[in-house]
Amino acid sequence: MTELTRRRLLASAGVGAAGIGLGGVGGYLVGSESAEADDGTGSVPFYGEHQAGIATPAQDRLHFAAFDLVDPSPSALRDLLREWSAAAAEMTAGQMVGDVNDMQLAPPDDTGETVGLLPSRLTVTFGFGPSLFERRGLGLAGKRPAALRDIPPLPADELNEGESGGDICVQACSDDPQVAFHAVRNLARIGRGTVVMRWSHLGFGRTASTSRSQETPRNLMGFKDGTANIKAEDGEAMDRFVWVGGEGPAWMRGGTYMVTRRIRMLLEIWDRSALADQEETIGRDKYKGAPLGGSEEFEALDLEAEQGGKPVIPVDAHVRLASASANGGERILRRGYSFTDGVDESLGELEAGLFFICFQRDPESQFVAIQRRLGSSDALNEYIKHVGSAVFAVPPGARSGGYVGETLLG
Amino acid sequence: MNRLALRPLPIAAGICLVALFAAGCGTSDDAPAGAKKMAFTLTDAGCEPNSAKAPAGPINFEVENAGTSKVTELEVLDGETILGEVENLSDGLSGSFSLTLEKGEYTLYCPGGDEEKGTLAVSGELKAENSPEVEAAIAQYRKYLEQNTAALVAATEPFVAAVVAGNAAKARLLYPAARIPYERIEPVAESFGTLDPRIDARENDVPASEFEGFHRIEKALWGGSTAGLKPVVIGSTAGMAPVAKQLLADVEELQARVKNVELQAVQIANGANELLGEVSASKITGEEERYSHTDLVDFEANVEGAEVAFEAVEPLLSEKDPELAKEIEASFEDVYASLEPYRRGNGFVSYTDLSKADTRKLAQEIDALAEELSQVPAQIVG
Repeated sequence: MTELTRRRLLASAGVGAAGIGLGGVGGYLVGSESAEADDGTGSVPFYGEHQAGIATPAQDRLHFAAFDLVDPSPSALRDLLREWSAAAAEMTAGQMVGDVNDMQLAPPDDTGETVGLLPSRLTVTFGFGPSLFERRGLGLAGKRPAALRDIPPLPADELNEGESGGDICVQACSDDPQVAFHAVRNLARIGRGTVVMRWSHLGFGRTASTSRSQETPRNLMGFKDGTANIKAEDGEAMDRFVWVGGEGPAWMRGGTYMVTRRIRMLLEIWDRSALADQEETIGRDKYKGAPLGGSEEFEALDLEAEQGGKPVIPVDAHVRLASASANGGERILRRGYSFTDGVDESLGELEAGLFFICFQRDPESQFVAIQRRLGSSDALNEYIKHVGSAVFAVPPGARSGGYVGETLLG
Repeated sequence: MNRLALRPLPIAAGICLVALFAAGCGTSDDAPAGAKKMAFTLTDAGCEPNSAKAPAGPINFEVENAGTSKVTELEVLDGETILGEVENLSDGLSGSFSLTLEKGEYTLYCPGGDEEKGTLAVSGELKAENSPEVEAAIAQYRKYLEQNTAALVAATEPFVAAVVAGNAAKARLLYPAARIPYERIEPVAESFGTLDPRIDARENDVPASEFEGFHRIEKALWGGSTAGLKPVVIGSTAGMAPVAKQLLADVEELQARVKNVELQAVQIANGANELLGEVSASKITGEEERYSHTDLVDFEANVEGAEVAFEAVEPLLSEKDPELAKEIEASFEDVYASLEPYRRGNGFVSYTDLSKADTRKLAQEIDALAEELSQVPAQIVG
């Protein structure tokens, strides 16, 4: 059963295959198409030098979860990570989880909601929070990388403990929301008894492009976001800013550090601010995406330009403060998603914003330094609140047959 | 803290925008008062002169055909865009048009001439001419501004005296009243760089070493706890005397500086929006007065300030859209009515006494008003 793709299961078992119009796809072979294809057929290999879901061109949907260990022991953690890796490899290949899926008297291993769905470029990325290394009974205190430290309090923080931190994170990205949800749900199920979910987020639309092949998407403020992001094709930038090299502990080599921030946007206030204010806040033309004073989206920022004695890109514009040149050349790989999560109970307003995710070699000198600049003077602060925060060490990828985290625990 | 307020409107898009203040966009037969007159002659050679200079501002172009059949037209262009023109001037005819130009290099274009294109260099800063109605709106709001900065100093003095004297109980009583005049005019205070953060920053707005002003003292007086614990037991004025003295100096500086602040009608209208944004972002959430929980006092002051700003520009709006003006008036009434149940004596109930349903109702009233109010600036310019 493990070798069966979800599509083939339908065809061979004849479970309504024709009914859902899949009759001809029964022989579909996962991996025969390009991993890049975003029509659902693409599948991204789980095993490799780096974990997938970082340099992978950003998929459209996200389900992110942070877990805490219940009763930490090294062997339980090792078993969990081994099982999680195996399940993630199956799911990313478009296969069902586990091998007990057709016994009438047993609950199926796989929860089943992706049967008939394509792999949809699912990636599953695992990371370890600073708290994992402090857990008694694991003996990991000495292995915590110096770069992995809780994000310090930053200006404009309004953090909520319940949406911050976590021992282990799972980032599931896919072009199909149900495929991403399925991944987190099944990993949570496998982990039951070993881990409990601390918080989780659904992202309904990517807000960054991580590949030159992708259009720059718009965030919920209606602006193109991440135009100046690091692109995965830029191997030199990836090595310089994202992948851990010789500096870290050996077990992190080829890994990276992930920072997540739940950023609530005050959309009601934003929506009633004048177009000119919105553009000066961001520093870009709302529709074209060009920097103020420019005409093309990918034009370099002209931070020196002045008109009538004032800078064309205001001194507190988001693009200026976030630019590499304002931050000593430091850059990060952003890979965030728009979220909405019902209605704010006490305001009756949309609970929505950006679930910000970024990857870097050193959170302190990259994300934290940039956010310190932004937090104290960014014009955008008028319209956003950082309500959740977490940081994770993302170990390198696993070899086929191994598991993510093996470099730490193996 | 609210940083957007009173940011000058960009005039990048806008020859048209600015021209509307004065003479209408594009051509106009009526020269605006105080416009600079520039005379041009059409000849076989083209525009005469074909190189000219002018100060930024309204310009009346007076064009005469001095006996050429080759050239019958003069245009002023910004790049490829025709800003104004006079056409069909045959021999002996003359015509004119007005433009308000900002600093820049423009093209004079006399098609058919030996030399068709010339240049018009405009230098200096543009000063918009205000109508008497706009001047009246500005004067009305300026008066309010000066009244409230005076009231701010007057209310801060006894508060500061109580802090300096070490009388925490008295200072706690005087605190809310000192906040009111500031919250009414906050958008203007924010136009003076670091003055607003010095007076009104909340703890996480600024680095710890720069945390001072009202909220630094508030934190001490109420014991630094956000949980509504007993301020009488844990709050004090310890260490606050220098902070209080600086606060008084800062509000006095504010009073002096608003006397010279430049105001525009659009900025006043934007200021009203910013005040309601303040209510939504920090008063309804209880973040502004997180130790004293007197947020509803500030809430009302923000709304009052927004209402006065709106009333100042209301005559300008009523000309364009009387319906909207009426709706906004009614929405202000709705917001005040929604606050009434929480009024106690001279003040309001503590923010901690509000349920989620209460704050939700207040937030939605503010959103409804603010959405309408956000339509005003564009109306009073266009």
